[in-house]
Amino acid sequence: MKRLLLAAIFAAALPHLASAEDPIKIGYAISKTGPFAPAAQTQLNAYQLWADKVAADGGIDVGGVKRPVQFVVYDDQSDFGKAPAIYEKLITSDKVDLLLAPWGTPFHFSIVGILEKYHFPVVGNSAASTTIRDVKPGNIWFTTSAIPDHLASELVKMMKSAGVKTVAINTLQLPFSQEFKKYLMPAIEKDGGFKVVVNEEYAPDTKDMTATLTKIKQAAPDAILSLSYPPDSVLFMKQERELGINAPFQLVLIGPTDHFFSKIFGSNLDGTITMGHWSPAQAKWPKAKPFYDAYFKKFNEPPDYLDSALAWMSIEVLEQAVKKVGLDKDKLRQEIASDTFDTINGPVKFNGVENVTTPTMYLQFQKGEAQIIWPASEETAKMIKKPAWSQN
Amino acid sequence: MKRAETRRHLPFISGLVAAVAAGAMLVTWGDEYAVGVGLTLVMWIALVQSWAAFSGLSGYISLGHAVFYGVGAYVMVAGWQTLPIWLSVVAAGLAAGAVALLLGWPSLRVRGPYFVILTFGLAEFVKYIVVSIEAALGRNGRLLIGAPGLRELFVAMLFLAVLSTTGLYALRRSRLGTGLIAIREDEIAAEAVGVNTARTKLVIFGLSAIVPGMVGALMSLRFTYFEPMQSFSPVTSFTIVTIAVLGGSDDVPGPLLGTVFLVALSELLWARAPELYMIILGVLLVGFVLFAPEGIYGKLRSWGRGGAR
Amino acid sequence: MSVLLSGQLLAAALALASLYALVAMGLNLVYGTMRLLNIAHGEFVMLGGYVTYWSFTHLGISPLLSMLIAPALGACLGMLIYLVLFRRLLRSPKLAARVEANSLLIFFGVSVIFQNVMALLFTSTQRGYVYLDQVINIGNVAMTANRLILFGVASSACLLCLAFFRYTRAGSAVRAVIQQRDASALVGIDIDRLNIMVFALGFALAALAGVLVSMVQEITPFIGFPFTISAFVIITLGGLGNLFGSLLGALLLAAVEVYGTAIISSSFRSILVYGVFIAVLLVKPEGLLGRAVVAR
Repeated sequence: MKRLLLAAIFAAALPHLASAEDPIKIGYAISKTGPFAPAAQTQLNAYQLWADKVAADGGIDVGGVKRPVQFVVYDDQSDFGKAPAIYEKLITSDKVDLLLAPWGTPFHFSIVGILEKYHFPVVGNSAASTTIRDVKPGNIWFTTSAIPDHLASELVKMMKSAGVKTVAINTLQLPFSQEFKKYLMPAIEKDGGFKVVVNEEYAPDTKDMTATLTKIKQAAPDAILSLSYPPDSVLFMKQERELGINAPFQLVLIGPTDHFFSKIFGSNLDGTITMGHWSPAQAKWPKAKPFYDAYFKKFNEPPDYLDSALAWMSIEVLEQAVKKVGLDKDKLRQEIASDTFDTINGPVKFNGVENVTTPTMYLQFQKGEAQIIWPASEETAKMIKKPAWSQN
Repeated sequence: MKRAETRRHLPFISGLVAAVAAGAMLVTWGDEYAVGVGLTLVMWIALVQSWAAFSGLSGYISLGHAVFYGVGAYVMVAGWQTLPIWLSVVAAGLAAGAVALLLGWPSLRVRGPYFVILTFGLAEFVKYIVVSIEAALGRNGRLLIGAPGLRELFVAMLFLAVLSTTGLYALRRSRLGTGLIAIREDEIAAEAVGVNTARTKLVIFGLSAIVPGMVGALMSLRFTYFEPMQSFSPVTSFTIVTIAVLGGSDDVPGPLLGTVFLVALSELLWARAPELYMIILGVLLVGFVLFAPEGIYGKLRSWGRGGAR
Repeated sequence: MSVLLSGQLLAAALALASLYALVAMGLNLVYGTMRLLNIAHGEFVMLGGYVTYWSFTHLGISPLLSMLIAPALGACLGMLIYLVLFRRLLRSPKLAARVEANSLLIFFGVSVIFQNVMALLFTSTQRGYVYLDQVINIGNVAMTANRLILFGVASSACLLCLAFFRYTRAGSAVRAVIQQRDASALVGIDIDRLNIMVFALGFALAALAGVLVSMVQEITPFIGFPFTISAFVIITLGGLGNLFGSLLGALLLAAVEVYGTAIISSSFRSILVYGVFIAVLLVKPEGLLGRAVVAR
């Protein structure tokens, strides 16, 4: 009798034991090679940080059961044409249980069709365009609040509160900058309180900005807005410094959140305003500083305040959803669409595809740290005027 | 066709039939991933066969064929939800052909390395013009939602691959094609024996752009996202030339073999070791140019003839 | 209008021109003597940049010292590539008949290899360092010290090269080969040895440019290609094989980039550059200073 009982207990325990051992597969593609690889690196780092954490924890919690994770990672070679094929492979051939998002707006968009086809929910991160609202909700969500139309209207408010009267704008001819400008110009006009003294655009691969900067210097505006991507952001700032162009309000759209800028510009980065909505200094978000520290420990440098943070947020949403409802796609979809998640960036809740709880914010570097300076409800520090460039 | 002629063309026709049959089987029974790979395969075949029709036969290496691909894609996105898709595809091909005639007319007067870098320069020139136009229109990348599915695209692309392969095959055995080959061997002599070199080059250059234009249009449906820097990317031009070098560009089997080889290598490697894949590709390219300049097809042929050349 | 006449714009144009000239000269040398289309030239610039970056951040070696080290390494690498790859190409009559096309493809393979080896070794993350970046004001022109050094070193190197070609025996031999390859062999010039020297020099110049580039901009494994393109535009403008022409071409390109965008708009920068390039190729394909090319 005892033997039978033992056998029964054993038999009952067996499936439980078996499922605890079964690894789940999580897959993604990211630009490991090609021109976007430098930019995608910080997101990849966040993913790898998570992989370490998951391995150390013995797995992730799937509906109450801890299961180890096997990652399947591919390189999309900076070719957003390859992304759909890769994600299709992940779903149909590698049979992954969960997916993480690739890097960058075009890549997110290129996989939407595949996700819809297979009804496979993915929490997106590094995509920011008003076009996300054209995407049917249900299979992809975007954690970022740095959407161009919000960004533009907040920027105008922010400039107004800083007493800006004259503005110089220099825009790169690539999608995100162009989209930002598309919303910025009408917002500026509608407000009526600004005068745009320089409004230039430049093509990708520009190697010298002296002409535009000389015009800006002559115009001596209150605000200089460089709607640029990282390589030209570096060029712009370097040449700004060279020419000694000082203005109290300086925005560099993309780039400064990457530690590379701190390395190159040092204290000259202070006062630069950039887009982003995460800072380890925000006491309201207890998970923020630990993430910063963990990232720093592994990579010996601070995370990218934009991409690394967004990537981690998307991971948190996914982890929490999976913990609650397991791997069933429909349940996950429901859960992600309706619940509020606790992330390093505070609470995140989606309405449709968009994250509506995180306000659109702006960061400013002060004493080497990224502080949230806008809006006032979220600020970790007050906005300062950009000090004059140190030319030594 | 007379009986003897039919027999001569039999290998080609049967090859074509076999390919179409294989394609049909793939579409019917293949899983998504396999069809995706198939699409990539027939896409490159379509592109390289068209390229070879001009550059392979004439020796004028065009390093800017991506421009026709991009033009085709642009026509598709411009006509999106305004024109029916099939019409856009045809328009894309015609637009690309027109662009080729426009670009070719001045540039085909230029020879050798000048032509190579000129075609590259022209492709980049058009690319940045499109970037400017999009910027002026306030467009920041275009999303095409609701495009046809993978299998439909595959069938269309298979058709284009068959079209360009047949085109190359027919051209090579035609008077026009012979004229082009004569130009490759010795342009001055060709002129001397009465080949209208300027017209021959221009016509075929124009024709060689049509299929790439249609390919570009179809692929924009696959990617569902258009952005000029990507759609006009020089990588496309370079990949075409790479395949032609690997496989051979003199006759139909060359690009076919080259594409299969490249796609197979790519499938084998990019998943596991992406940087390694590119490095191996570079090494292969160098090796082929030095040791097998006629490509795989040329090597096979010389082995077929038995013994060293 | 005052912007156009400013000293600042002139300084920017000159700095850019000097860098372009340095990169173009190496490319022109290799093309002029051997008719090889080196589209991997930019990768040697990139390698020079990484050597400098790594030496500075890991070994504390000043970039000024790297200006001697990197070109030496570049020369060695160049010679190696010549001996392993191109000697074979040039000696085989079949391959040499289509030497431009074949060299283009070989160099393309080489560039792919270099880019991805560096991506493997260093990851694709952008790299940079800060060195001598104090801003120096001369009159109403402001420039960082490293940009001034770039201008000084690049222009001196170019002028030294030109002097070398003009006044030394080895240099005259190179010019002879550029003018008339077969005849040069007849008068006793050791073509093979000259080729090795040209490769060494050409790639050394590229590596030197890389050192200078790394001082003023960030480097990634993929920064080479735009330099290659600019170099090709320049040597085409100046005349393929015409060494003095590449100086002129560099000045012209830099002027278009800096002044052209000042006049019209920066948004047309690339259109202008390629437009000028195409125009020259179509109107005078042998370049502004080149002699009319005999049809090949």
